[in-house]
Amino acid sequence: MLAVVFHDVSKCYRIRQGVGLLRRLRPGGVKDFWAVKDVTFEVGRGETLGLIGHNGAGKSTILKLLSRITAPTTGEIRLSGRVAALIEVGSGFHPELTGRENVYLSGSLLGMRRREIQAKFDRIVEFAGVSEFIDMPVKWYSSGMYVRLGFAVAAHLEPDILLVDEVLAVGDAAFQRQCIDRLNELRRAGTTMLFISHDLMSIERLCDRVALMNHGQLIASGPPSEVVGTYQQMVATGHAAAVADASRVAADARARVESITFHDQSAAMVINASTGTPLSARVHYRADAPVSDAVVEVFYYSRDGRVLHCQQSTALTGGALDLPAGSGAVEFTMPWLGLQPGIYSVGATIRQRTAAEAIDWFYGRTMLYVEPGKPVRGHFSTPHDWRIVAGDGPEDHGAGV
Amino acid sequence: MSYGDLLRTLSRHRINVRYRQTLLGVAWAVLQPLLLMLIFAVVFSRLARIPSEGAPYPLFAYAALLPWTCFSTAVTNATGSLVTHTQLITKVYFPREILPITYIVAALFDFTLGLAALAGLITWYDVPITLAALWLIPLVALLAAWILAVSLALSALQVRWRDVGVALPIGVQILLFVSPVIYPLDVVPASWRAVYLLNPMAGIIHSFRDVLLRGQIPDAVPFAFAVGVTAAALPLAYVYFKRIEATMADVV
Repeated sequence: MLAVVFHDVSKCYRIRQGVGLLRRLRPGGVKDFWAVKDVTFEVGRGETLGLIGHNGAGKSTILKLLSRITAPTTGEIRLSGRVAALIEVGSGFHPELTGRENVYLSGSLLGMRRREIQAKFDRIVEFAGVSEFIDMPVKWYSSGMYVRLGFAVAAHLEPDILLVDEVLAVGDAAFQRQCIDRLNELRRAGTTMLFISHDLMSIERLCDRVALMNHGQLIASGPPSEVVGTYQQMVATGHAAAVADASRVAADARARVESITFHDQSAAMVINASTGTPLSARVHYRADAPVSDAVVEVFYYSRDGRVLHCQQSTALTGGALDLPAGSGAVEFTMPWLGLQPGIYSVGATIRQRTAAEAIDWFYGRTMLYVEPGKPVRGHFSTPHDWRIVAGDGPEDHGAGV
Repeated sequence: MSYGDLLRTLSRHRINVRYRQTLLGVAWAVLQPLLLMLIFAVVFSRLARIPSEGAPYPLFAYAALLPWTCFSTAVTNATGSLVTHTQLITKVYFPREILPITYIVAALFDFTLGLAALAGLITWYDVPITLAALWLIPLVALLAAWILAVSLALSALQVRWRDVGVALPIGVQILLFVSPVIYPLDVVPASWRAVYLLNPMAGIIHSFRDVLLRGQIPDAVPFAFAVGVTAAALPLAYVYFKRIEATMADVV
């Protein structure tokens, strides 16, 4: 039973340059931009599909097409059941109106009946945690309260199909947790969901299947860990062509990364580490044949899939690395872990120095949990010393230049 | 999905917000046509000596200003309604005609208050009320239908060409002078009638005076013109609006 059918859909935006009648006379005044091109996918009833891809890949356009905010240029879209779209938290809020009035306004904009809002009103307000301020105009709300109330209204819709665009990026950690719990609740209740998020870890946790968009086209679709891995590889290598068929890379791989493990100073395996303490990462591999002039790389990703840091075996050894056939591991040692406290996803590749494409790409479920250690301000920590340097002030240059 | 509740909630919101932070509040709904009536009475009746078909000129003017103010307010607000709600249109789906309609509902609300004032004026001038006054119900429906047709067409056009919003105030001014608000329909030469009556406001205003001031059922020809033009325009406007609606979010 399909809830969403998106068949061969394209969406073209006309980009107009120039003003008024003039642009009609000038050639090239109107340009076509295909935000979505020949995209086909289906979502089964009760299934949760994640949509990932770089900015401008066409994810949000797909959601706008599904929610009927705009119509496709060509193709066919079929949805069965009540659809609710959460494109922006607090859409339809009027600053002069009170929280209470806005719950009704926003709820009815999202397609809820007045009676339905009445019945859920107390739960919505409790969820948002703004009960004391509910009769105050929302222009006096803090941005956090505003967002919480906006999400609370939408979270209490009971649609058959829920479309969510990057709303989890708002609010504090506790509220995000609450949102994810609520979405999981809806999911268990059988709601079909479509998600856009840059938070790849949430995507992996929440979705049954993930689709990857690139420049308006759907280039991969499948199990979350696989597609997220493909995307991370794409981000790391900076091009999509090589990963269009992710399985190909693994198929003729002479060597494979089997796992990544972390070890403390005493070589004991750990999954947690603290900022500012020594840590080593081992990339375990198996090679069917010797790989000469190999390069092993380790990538550290943020939650939203950005490569934060990369370590390479060439930098480690300063020369060529020849991997013998069989199993083994390459260890990367860090005398000082520079990552901020948080959760990181870690991947690794094996490639030949002369080849552009990797022999194997590994993106498993390897996570590194970094706990607070050495206090860090800023994005990362780096080993450093300091000393007082006597008499090293600016020199007197006399009359100047 | 039910959007009836959205229409109600948004319309109530329009009425609430309109006179918020004003000293006189909803009294403005009555004051606007009343003030115009006073000016018209002085300028056009006392100074220009314009005939008023036997009725007291203030009453004659007010009976026309009531539907006219409703028309001009509703059309002016409704035309801009789509472009002033870009935020909503690009973020949420709902049938877009709800936006212009809410402004029409708000104008009809004001109209109802103005009608109460008219009842007061009629009593004051001791004009007899007959059963013909019941014609007000279909007349208001006709007025609403014509306003809807104009609002749908203009608001959709405005999405694409902002010229509409710029030209609108002067357009409404011109319409005021080619509708029998200031003067009676009788002064329009017979040879011009057919063209003149293509503006449904002419037939509507004339019929308002028929049923309220003269206690008779609407004059058949002006009324038929108004009904005919509205009946032709409304479906066309709706179809055009729906065609623009599909990709409204891309251009608004």
